[in-house]
Formats: sequence, C-alpha cells, structure tokens
Amino acid sequence: MSEYHSAPMSRRTFFGSAAGLWAAIHAPGLWAQPAGTAVTGLVFSGGDVLAFGNRSLRSSDRGATWTTHPVPDGQPAAVTSHPARPGRLFVSIEGGGVEVSEDFGQSWRRQGQGLPDRTLDALANSAKNPDTLYAAIGGDGLWRSEDAGETWEFVMDRPFLSGSEQDVRTLASVDLASGMGGIWLYAGTSAGLQRVPDCFCRWQDVQPQGALDALVEGEKAPTVMPLPEGEPVNALVSCAASPERLYAALPSGVWASADGGVIWSKAAPFVATALAVDPSDADTLVAATPADLFHSRDGGQSWVVSAIL
Amino acid sequence: MNDFRAFPGCRKATGGALLAAICSGAVSGPSLAEEVTFLGETVPDATIRQGEVLYGEYCADCHGVNREGAPNWRRRLESGRMPAPPQDGTGHSFTHSDPDLFAMTKLGIDAVVPGYESDMPAFDGVLTDSDIVAILGFVKKHWPEDKGAIQAGLPGMAAFR
Ligand code: HEC
Repeated sequence: MSEYHSAPMSRRTFFGSAAGLWAAIHAPGLWAQPAGTAVTGLVFSGGDVLAFGNRSLRSSDRGATWTTHPVPDGQPAAVTSHPARPGRLFVSIEGGGVEVSEDFGQSWRRQGQGLPDRTLDALANSAKNPDTLYAAIGGDGLWRSEDAGETWEFVMDRPFLSGSEQDVRTLASVDLASGMGGIWLYAGTSAGLQRVPDCFCRWQDVQPQGALDALVEGEKAPTVMPLPEGEPVNALVSCAASPERLYAALPSGVWASADGGVIWSKAAPFVATALAVDPSDADTLVAATPADLFHSRDGGQSWVVSAIL
Repeated sequence: MNDFRAFPGCRKATGGALLAAICSGAVSGPSLAEEVTFLGETVPDATIRQGEVLYGEYCADCHGVNREGAPNWRRRLESGRMPAPPQDGTGHSFTHSDPDLFAMTKLGIDAVVPGYESDMPAFDGVLTDSDIVAILGFVKKHWPEDKGAIQAGLPGMAAFR
C-alpha cells in the first residue's frame, strides 16, 4: 500500500485501526466474519448506495455521506439490486426468505417460493439476464430464480476445495464470456475463489482461458497470481461497465483484479465485511468494516471514512 | 427407442428427477433434429443407430438408459465428485461444443478443465474415435431442437457453421 488520504480521518488513525483489525482477525480461529458486523450488504442502485445489516443506510453521493433508512422485517443477510431498475432491491433475511423493494427500500414484499427456510448467505443478479437471480445457502448450494425472485430452483452443489465442500459467502455475476454460451458466476467461498459457467456444468478455479480451454502442450503458461490460498472470501464484486475489474474482501485485506480474477493485488489492508462498486465506474468503491463505511475513488488506492457505524 | 410422443407436455417439466426420468423420452419425440452433424460432418442414420448401441453398452450405466442422468445429479456424492449429468437436453451437455464433448469423452473431463477430478472415465483405447462420434451423434440427435440450436451457437462451434 502506498498512500492514504487524510481527510477526514488522519492517516495514522487509519493505519492504527486497520492494524488492530488485522491483528484481531488473524488470531487463531477467527477466520469467520468479524463479530458485531454492522453492515453485511452494500449495493449500488440507480446511482445511490444502500447499506444493510444491523443498520440500514443510504447514500446519494456514492458513499460520501449517509442517512438512515427503513429496514425490511428481520435481520438482513445479503443484498443485490436490479441493474436496470433503479430502486429494485433484494435482501435476504437471516433464518430464511427474500424481501424485495421497488422503491429503494421504502417498502418491502416477501418473496422466495421454492426456497428452503434457510438464510441465503449470498445473492446476485445476473449481469446478462437481470431477472435472473442467484442465491447461495450454507451446507446446501446454489439456487436460481428466472422470474425476478418469485420462484426458485436448486441448480448446483457447493464447490469442492481444500478437500471438502465449501460454503459460498458471496456471489458475483461477471459479464465475461465463459466460452459455453453464457457468462461466469464467481463465488467467494470459505476457502477461496471459484467460478462456474452460468449453465452450471462445473465449478473451477479462475484460469486465464475459457471454461474448457486446457493449455495446448508446449504453450507458455500465462502468469497467474491468485488470491492467498485457503483464505475465505467474504465479499466479491465486479463492475458492470468493466466486468474484468473485480474486488474481493478477505481477512488479509481488500484485493483487486483488472483481468477477471487471474492476477490479484492487495488494494487495502483493512478487513471489509461488505463491498460495492459503482456499476458505471470501476474506480468508485464503497466498503464496510465492522466500525466504518469507507469510500474510494481510485480503485481502492486511497480511502476516506464516511460513517462511523 | 421407446416412443414417448404421448407425453408432449413433459418437455417443459425439467424440474424433479422423477419427472425428468419419466419425460426423458419425450425429447426424442416430435422435434428431433432432422440432420445431426458432428465436428461439421453429417452423421448418417446408420452411424447414429450404431451410436445408440454403443451408448447402451458404455454410457447408460452412469448417464441413464434414457440419457436422463444419475438420480439427483445436481448434488455432489459423498466422495466430493459430481454424479453423471443427463445427456438428454435437461442437463448441460448442450453447452459444450463438439470438440469439447469429444475431448471429454475420449480423454476425460480434466483434459479440458485441468486438475478437475471426476468419475467420468476417459474412453481412449476403449472406443475408437469413430465410435465416439457415433455415440455423440446419437446423443445430439435426441436433444430437443432448442437445445441443439444453443449448442450450434456456441463460440466453440464457429468453425463448423
Ligand atoms: C462411470 C460412470 C460414467 C460412464 C460409464 C460415462 N460417464 Fe460421462 N460422465 C460421468 C460423470 C460423473 C460426469 C460428470 C463429470 C463432472 O462434471 O464432474 C460425466 C460427464 C460427461 C460429459 C460432460 C458433459 C456434461 O454434460 O457434463 C460427457 C460429454 C460425457 N460424460 C460423455 C460420456 C459418454 C459419451 C459416455 C459413454 C461412452 C460416458 N460419458 C460414460 C460418468 C460417466
């Protein structure tokens, strides 16, 4: 990391708290989401940013200032928004169910026919077919709705990594061709990053090629710099306007990729519980830590704290 | 082949494994592809009939007698591997191009997804290339027309259009 802007928090404060978090999260057995997480979901919708969790907040200036906001019934777990319909939000509720709002969260309606009564840990809108939604359930797998969340079907088991099935903590529909007629669904799991073509044929590592392009023998292996092995991925986002630009939140920090997840570099050392990227500008980011909301206008190189949670 | 033409409504029911099993024959009903090509070459009817026999011998145990796939095929096995998916158009075989279908059958899945572990055997040395073409021609012949069209439009099929 090179530099942090000072306003409105001093550089020193920032590093101090970031280092504290870093130490806390690296204590043994603390790979899970930090306790007391205030914000579990962040999302852009129609130019605004919405934050959900113990608190519900809305920003109309891409994360610089925030106001409180009505909450759906129950404790929000994950959130996604319809890319083309400003104000249409989907929030999953701890214990089961999805709430949908058409008005930026002023009012909510329960959905989710066919889903088991379990928490949806992750939600994503398809970047290609916006009425298609994906959800992940711990201990279970991936579910899909093709009618904007009304009805759901099971489509895929959990990915198998590090010798066992891993829960999906975060999903991002990434508008890059899978080579199989569709695009990719990326998943941040309890033990790293995986992706599956949206035909759901098989989970795989992120590789430089398409879904089925094994290296031709003798070809030079392309450079790959994956995320740190075995670390959980707690949040993952792709920018709609530049889908190859990805950000991931891990216990080791916020990571960025400009090539669809083949090469990653650390953009910030803090532990984020949620991330959102402006669909029209991959450099504009909002991140939540257990204590603060941050925003960045330069792809995560520098961050400004905007709300103390 | 059994003729399930009596259940045309089945084609829509791709949900439950049971329905899929009952209905899998339906896809061999009215809207079959007239002419099947593999790697750009027309597969003659005689070859397709040969492929049907070979399919029954070498593939049906896992992929199902009516190509309906293993029961509950979307759920991982205890071993961590995936069960055999349907080949009848209710699974995802039509999202693979001819070269990929061929490579996966001849060399196994990890030939196209390096390091991928699966129960799909490599048939190299067991079946000849023309046996494999015959089997896959037979499989393609029984995909519903819309699924065949999806496959024909895949990027990996561009060379054969
Ligand atoms: C021992 C069981 C077994 C036999 C026999 C078998 N398969 Fe498979 N096959 C599988 C499994 C399991 C998969 C799924 C692998 C995965 O994706 O994890 C698979 C996947 C495939 C795929 C990939 C396409 C898709 O939809 O995923 C093709 C093509 C295929 N099999 C063709 C054949 C053909 C042709 C035969 C007969 C010559 C055959 N298989 C025989 C178990 C088997």
